[in-house]
Amino acid sequence: MAMKPEEILRLIAAERGDAICVPTMTTSPAWRTIAPDDLSVGCVGFMGGASSIGLGLALAHPERRVIVFDGDGSLLMQLGALATNAGAAAANFVHLLFKNNVYHTSGAQEIPGGEGVDFVQMAKGAGYREAFAIHEMDELKRRLPHILTARGPLLVELHTTLADQTPMTAGMGVPFAKQVETLRDKLLAADARR
Amino acid sequence: MPESIPAPLIIDTLKDTFKDARAALAKEGVKTRHDHLGWILSVPDTHQKTVLAALDKERALRVVTCSTEDEANAVAAGLWIGGEPVAVMIQHAGLYASVNTLRGVAMDGRVPIFYMIGLLSREKDKDPRESRHSMVRYCEPLLDLFGVPHARLEGPNDVHRIPEYYRLSRERRGPAAVLVGLETS
Repeated sequence: MAMKPEEILRLIAAERGDAICVPTMTTSPAWRTIAPDDLSVGCVGFMGGASSIGLGLALAHPERRVIVFDGDGSLLMQLGALATNAGAAAANFVHLLFKNNVYHTSGAQEIPGGEGVDFVQMAKGAGYREAFAIHEMDELKRRLPHILTARGPLLVELHTTLADQTPMTAGMGVPFAKQVETLRDKLLAADARR
Repeated sequence: MPESIPAPLIIDTLKDTFKDARAALAKEGVKTRHDHLGWILSVPDTHQKTVLAALDKERALRVVTCSTEDEANAVAAGLWIGGEPVAVMIQHAGLYASVNTLRGVAMDGRVPIFYMIGLLSREKDKDPRESRHSMVRYCEPLLDLFGVPHARLEGPNDVHRIPEYYRLSRERRGPAAVLVGLETS
C-alpha cells in the first residue's frame, strides 16, 4: 500500500537531526507545517531544481546531511541532474523521490511513462552510490537509520499517495527569497559559532 | 578591435576574486571548511574551452560540470546559500535555455549569481548586437530585458570586470554577467 507523503515527512522530521531539507512542489506545504523552524528551502516555480539546490548545499556543507524531497514529475524536468548529482559525489546527499506518478499540482495528469518509470534504475545508471525503492511505511521506518547515515549520493524512490495539499491549494507560503535569506543567515551564523 | 583573453589571466582573476570573497566572509567570522578558493559551475562552452582545460589542472578552484544551465544556476544558489564563492561559466545558448531558472532562482530568489557567458561565433569585426548570428545578437538584449547588468570582456584589459561584476551580483543580490567576446586562448 502506497505511503502518505505527510506520514513520511513527519517521520523524517523526527529523525533528521541538523540536516538541511529541500522540499519541492507537493511536499512544500506539508513540510512547512511539520517543520516550520527547520533548516529548509522550498523550491516552487522552477520545477526540477530541488536536487540541484540540494547538491550545492551538500557541497558547501559536507558536515551536514542534505535531504531533497523531490517529485517524479519535477525530476523528469531536469533528469540530467541525476548524472550531475552522481558526478559531484557528495557523500552527504540524500535524494528522496516522492513517486505518485502524476503532476499533482497541475491537476494530476500522468507523468510521461506513468507508473512504469523506474528512477532507481536511472539513478544507478547515472552513478548514484546506492538507490532503492520503498513501498511501505514499516520498511521506511526500518531503513531510515541507514538512509540518514549511508554514504551518498543515495536515491530512495518512495511510492506515495497524493499529498493532502499542493502549492496551489495551500498557497506558496514564505516567499522563496525570504527562505533563501533565512537559511543562509542560519548557516553562516552556525559557521561563525564553530 | 576585440582580442582573445589568455586562460591563465581569467583563472588568476577568478582566484583573486574568490580570495576577496572568502576574506569578506572571514570578517563576518565565517570559517571556511574547504581547502580550495571557490567553485566553478560549468556547462562546457566551446568559446571558453581553454579556460575549462586549464581548470582541469587547477587545484585552487573546484569545477562541477553540470548537464544543463538550469542545474548550474540552482547548484550555484545552493553553494551561495551555504556561504561559498561561486561562478557560472556557460555560453549564450545556455542562457537562452535557462531563462526560467535565471528568473525563478537568481531574480525571484534574490540569489547573486555571477555568469561568464561565451559569445560563441561572435564576429571579430562586428558589435555583438549586429552579429549575423541570432545566438550572438540576442544575448545582450535578453539580459537587458531581464534587467541583468552585464559587461563585455573584449580583451585582457577588461578582466577587471570579473571582480566588479562578481561584487555587483552580491551587492544587488541578483544576477550579473560578463560576456566573453572572443574565444579564450
